[in-house]
Amino acid sequence: MLALAALPAAAQNLEAGRKKAETCVACHGPNGNSADAKFPILAAQTARYLYLQLRDFKEGRRSEPTMEPFVKDLTREDMLDLAAFFAAQKPRPPSFKPDPARAARGKLKSEETLCTMCHLGGFRGQNEIPRVAGQHYEYTVKQLNDFKARRRTNDAGNMTSVSRTLSERDIEDLAHYLVGLD
Amino acid sequence: MTKNTRRSLAITAATLGALALAVPAFGQEVKPAPATKGGEVPKGINVSQDQLTKAGSDSRNWLHTNGNYAQTRYYPGTSINTQNVRSLRPVFVFQTEVVESMETAPIVIDGVMYLTTAFNHVYAVDAASGKEFWHYKHKMGPVTTFCCGPNNRGVAISGGKVFMGTLDAKLVALDAKSGKLLWETQIEDPEKGYSETMSPTVIENKVLIGTNGGEYGIRGFVKAYDADSGKLLWTFYTIPEKGHEGVWAVNDATGRNMKRDIAKEKAALAKDSSFWQTLGGGVWMNPSVDLKARTVWFVVGNPSPDLYGDERPGDNLYTDSLVAIDLDKGSYKCHFQYVAHDVWDLDAVSPPILVDVADKGGKRVPGVIHGGKTGHVYVHDRKDCSLIRFSEAMVPQENMWVLPTAEGARMLPGANGGVEWSPMAWDPKNRLAIALNLHQPMTYHVEAAKYPGGSKLWLGGAFKVIPGEKQWGRVAAVQVDTGKVAWKHDTEQPLIGGGLTTGGGLFFFGEGNGSFNALDSATGKKLWSFNCGAGANAMPVSYMVGKRQYIAMGCGGNTQLDFKRGNSVFVFSVN
Repeated sequence: MLALAALPAAAQNLEAGRKKAETCVACHGPNGNSADAKFPILAAQTARYLYLQLRDFKEGRRSEPTMEPFVKDLTREDMLDLAAFFAAQKPRPPSFKPDPARAARGKLKSEETLCTMCHLGGFRGQNEIPRVAGQHYEYTVKQLNDFKARRRTNDAGNMTSVSRTLSERDIEDLAHYLVGLD
Repeated sequence: MTKNTRRSLAITAATLGALALAVPAFGQEVKPAPATKGGEVPKGINVSQDQLTKAGSDSRNWLHTNGNYAQTRYYPGTSINTQNVRSLRPVFVFQTEVVESMETAPIVIDGVMYLTTAFNHVYAVDAASGKEFWHYKHKMGPVTTFCCGPNNRGVAISGGKVFMGTLDAKLVALDAKSGKLLWETQIEDPEKGYSETMSPTVIENKVLIGTNGGEYGIRGFVKAYDADSGKLLWTFYTIPEKGHEGVWAVNDATGRNMKRDIAKEKAALAKDSSFWQTLGGGVWMNPSVDLKARTVWFVVGNPSPDLYGDERPGDNLYTDSLVAIDLDKGSYKCHFQYVAHDVWDLDAVSPPILVDVADKGGKRVPGVIHGGKTGHVYVHDRKDCSLIRFSEAMVPQENMWVLPTAEGARMLPGANGGVEWSPMAWDPKNRLAIALNLHQPMTYHVEAAKYPGGSKLWLGGAFKVIPGEKQWGRVAAVQVDTGKVAWKHDTEQPLIGGGLTTGGGLFFFGEGNGSFNALDSATGKKLWSFNCGAGANAMPVSYMVGKRQYIAMGCGGNTQLDFKRGNSVFVFSVN
């Protein structure tokens, strides 16, 4: 509720966004709740993050072959509408069952790494910092590894720096923790 | 595959149904509704300049975020004191509708309290009963850019208006009686990383406000606006277009070598000096005002990016500095830099306090003091900004100033301090500056990063706490004429929030675990504690209604240290 109260999307953005999001369903699922863990859950993601990621895909700062054909013709307005639509959707928890011991280790690791200073309490995200609570395990692991290996570099270096000292096990533990958050 | 598709389709149908229901609800959410709800304050509100000027000796009202223009956070009333504080009990709890980080300092005039929450809500409340008069909810623009939580530290009051800075970088003026919006003005562009969390300071009908954004490559400033119209009167930029390279300081304010490669920096500056436009230098806590000298004093935050210095050769003036400017024109008077070319985010944040201090020869002179993230209290001469002395370290220091590395270099204090934004409080009788400190061992990590366009956090690295190393907090009382720590009081968790001293010999402060405490300000002895049930990380204030003294404290937790969130302001008194 707070996120909605903070970023009220105009009703027309939501409606326009809903129509434009029809092509996204195949991978990102209905209302941004993807079933395939390769594709991120977009429901309830912050609008600002979604907009900036679409812009980065389009302008080549973030590279993902699957996304390329979908973003190349998007206008700024399209991207803002899509962002507003997905931000206003209710997320569904992924089916992945986290291992409690690994999730507990992930929580400790996140405290060391001061993740919530940016990602906000409960990893709900704020502004351009994404919500990562309840994100697919597989997607989170891939992103952290991509940051670490500098395959993903559209974060102004913050996440590369953060993930550099994380081991493979740390990354998996974090993903176990995050997937179980509401 | 088929099975999955079928399931997806089923979900689609179900959720589309839900969406049809959901859309009108969102529509309602954004219907042009009045931003203010509730009734009017049942009395006229009119705060004169004389009242604002003399707030330091006013035991009825709390008119400034930090108590008075000198920012002493000293309340002169004595009804609640070391003798009776053990009987201090809650009178009411005001619950706001926002459960998120709370840093507000309530403003109280004539028994009416104005308090704010995260996401820029303002409430006007009866300060003796907790009855709500009105509730203003700022209509946030579509773009906000800020780090470290959707905070707000309160309103400023003058005449019949209250003023608030917003997360979408606006300044708003509300009618104090009705809560209606009178005017709003866009301070800067939130797309470029500007936002407001500080409370403004109003003086002689000028509203003074700085900006956040040191994590986004802004160009910092302090601006003055006309309180009646919202018209901009002057701007002082904390980053000068020319001369920001400074004197190529080798040592910090305490004489420690900062391990700079100055030859390399000079070569880089010769190639490109355009970075002054994105050099940071936010001012996000209140300035103090010396009305007699017509001088505004404030401290300036870190350079952008925080940890990666190659992009910004030179001393990076006036980041990490104490600065004095002219109240009428906003022109430069003097500065003193604590850390030149900072690559640790150990900047200057806690609001400066104006008090008379002993100079090096022992003569009492007008001084200004600042509690640093470095863990020192710095004592300056107001005549020229010069440093008279710095206190002994209030928290452990180690390995200063080791340069950040890719793998992380350990150094103490961690990047939150020392003293974070937490305003100190002044005990005039014992001549103590009482500061809330943190001990949070960290490693500092650097990562090369170009300016990402203002829309994204730009740290140029990261800070991490060290696994297995205990973190804790410390209240430290510094005798400003000697720089010695007179007493310490340690807490289980790092401390963030404001302090309050009173004429009753008390020092109030809160902890992340919800404890709101009173110490004997002369000795540091703990006399009273109450658990608010959520992080007590706002700024306590005191005031009187009728013959009764009250203490108010916001307990909504804290984003930066992830302390338990809540939504309430607790108000206490003794019978």
